Amino acid sequence: MHGYSGKILHIDLATRKTWAESKPEKWYKVYIGGVSMATRLCWENIEVGCDPLSPGNPICVAGGLFAGTPVPVGGKWGLASKSPLTHFIGDSLSGSWFAIALKRAQWDGIVIHGASEEWVNVLVDDGRVEFRPASHLLGLGTYETEEAIREELGDDQVRSATIGPAGENQVLFANVTNDSRQAGRTGHGAVWGSKKLKALSIRGTNGVTVFDPKTLLELSYDIVDAAQGPHTQKYRILGTVSNVLNMNRLGLLPTRNYQQGVFEHAEIVSGEYLHENYRVKTIACAQCPIACEQMSRAKDGPYAGAMSGIEYESLYAVSSNCGIGDMQAAIKIIDVCDRGGIDTMSTGVTISWAMETFEKGVFAKEDFKCAKYPEGFEPYFGNAEAGVTLAEMIRDREGIGDLLALGTRKASARVDAERGTETFKWAMNIKGLETPGYDARALKTFALGLAAGTRGACHNRTAAYDPDIKGEVDRFSVDETRGELAKSTEEYAAVYDTLPLCKFIRRCFTGKADRAGAWPAIAKLINATTGWDFDYDDVDLIGERAHTIKKAFNIREGWTRADDHLPWRWQNEPMEEGASAGHVVTEEELEYLKDIYYEAKGWTQEGLIPREKLIALGMDDVAEEIGV
Amino acid sequence: MHVYVEFLGLSRLVAGIKEKTFDLPEGTTFRDVVRRLKSEYPAMVGNVIQPDGETLQAPNIFNLNGRRMIQQGQMDDLLGDGDRVVLMSMSAGG
Repeated sequence: MHGYSGKILHIDLATRKTWAESKPEKWYKVYIGGVSMATRLCWENIEVGCDPLSPGNPICVAGGLFAGTPVPVGGKWGLASKSPLTHFIGDSLSGSWFAIALKRAQWDGIVIHGASEEWVNVLVDDGRVEFRPASHLLGLGTYETEEAIREELGDDQVRSATIGPAGENQVLFANVTNDSRQAGRTGHGAVWGSKKLKALSIRGTNGVTVFDPKTLLELSYDIVDAAQGPHTQKYRILGTVSNVLNMNRLGLLPTRNYQQGVFEHAEIVSGEYLHENYRVKTIACAQCPIACEQMSRAKDGPYAGAMSGIEYESLYAVSSNCGIGDMQAAIKIIDVCDRGGIDTMSTGVTISWAMETFEKGVFAKEDFKCAKYPEGFEPYFGNAEAGVTLAEMIRDREGIGDLLALGTRKASARVDAERGTETFKWAMNIKGLETPGYDARALKTFALGLAAGTRGACHNRTAAYDPDIKGEVDRFSVDETRGELAKSTEEYAAVYDTLPLCKFIRRCFTGKADRAGAWPAIAKLINATTGWDFDYDDVDLIGERAHTIKKAFNIREGWTRADDHLPWRWQNEPMEEGASAGHVVTEEELEYLKDIYYEAKGWTQEGLIPREKLIALGMDDVAEEIGV
Repeated sequence: MHVYVEFLGLSRLVAGIKEKTFDLPEGTTFRDVVRRLKSEYPAMVGNVIQPDGETLQAPNIFNLNGRRMIQQGQMDDLLGDGDRVVLMSMSAGG
């Protein structure tokens, strides 16, 4: 077998035993890598129904098919566990050198079982596994932990995925971080913290073999060339932050906890303003010719020196959505999150929930006492210092940060139960995962994509905003095409998330980003790497299979149709101004959208998967367990 | 008639301004606006405007008055006096 080692490494943190598992080639042809393989490993190794923060929830790492090869943007890896935020599949991607180290260590995946009694750094040194004490690393931030491990081992080629203080404290939306990239959103850091796993380090020293190196190199050169042209220019020059002004113009920029879609200070938290005033340099992941990350630094004022890579989804969450029109404060909040190891989006949206809860009189100043402000503070919208302080309190679970560390769903449920309030009405999440930077009240195909999302409100797992925003459909209404559109866009995204390839390369194969433009080229890359004979249809199936195993995981964990929901606000409160004013997704619309989506997927009206469908996808054993 | 063109993203960096008001004859289409932009900002060709000078380079796209996105097949649609055209480039992800 080319492109794979054929081996999965298992590590038991409780017994400190390790073993290798061989997988047949047909297993790889179905699950490939990235989020699909990681989810499949989770399916095989989890104690069904377990508490996500218990030893029965495995950490499942899956490599990238193209990691360590010349294929541009293929240096990515997948991570899956049951999410403590959603209690469904938590599948994330991260990029850069860690993925290449994993491939060079000749493991296609790693499954970490159980929980350690002492804090540990697991070092995978090619075929050898070492359990290294990690208590002395506690309290270090994500970047500092990685650097400390390198220094300890005297080897700057060791790559580590780490957690920061937020993961140690089991903040439910804590991240895992490697090479300054985040495996974010669904709380992997908390799962690692529950196992006392501070870091997973890899030293890989082997070569990477592929079936047809000459062809793979030629194909890769063409893509690299294209990646220097206009197809990626927006990412290289401005990055995703250019979306702030786009969304503002469309009336879709989440503002003050999604109360509005237009922010009066959008210009000074825009990508254009960031580029002009605070960008230090642009950096790239390993194996990437695009370089999209806009490293930016606060240069004066109370947050001078704070520095981080700024992406749109982080920026909207901590600026407009908190009413904060201060770019340097936004950089500082993102810096606190990245170093502390917390998801910027969930942090921002949870802070905005707290701000609204304060402004509506449920929380008072004294609820916000902390070491920095012993008398408390007033976290009204626009209070930048409150935003920074709340991010720090969440990271440390200090004071009210202990409540906010639960995310909006669990925090609002606790407050409402204790105080008899209805703060759930402005808790912006789906399945417990906080909503992204596109207000879906006026993006109705996207609303369906988010509602049906297997990991909750994730813009990366559905590309259903695309037809809405580009005007290919009427974004303000629903019709019979939306079920197929939601299916098509989520499976399209799943192909990239499974190989995995960064989606920013999608126009660089032929100039067209659609399936016809990309799938034949991707099939050639797969075949030159593995020696397989994949065609357009095989590539298309990668996405359907990936999405199906995630859905199957959720069904086995108790998913029902009612879990495909939207935040109360998006269904009941229209915005009052801007280009998207006056719209909500009604209950009738949502139920209709779910009906036509399940039909497009070939599922039952309850959203369950027929046995024959699973068998046709090569998932016979999954059919045995959850097929209907 | 007057048409306001607002530049976002790359087009703003190239144009060096946030927006400009164009005095255009009745019957002006979106394609005519592209031609005018090419004439005023030749550096847009190849990144914001297609080399043919007639259409926008994907993913750059026109938005009319905050609500309607203009598809390739609508480039010959007419503009009206006072219309606000936003030239934007959508970036997924982040």
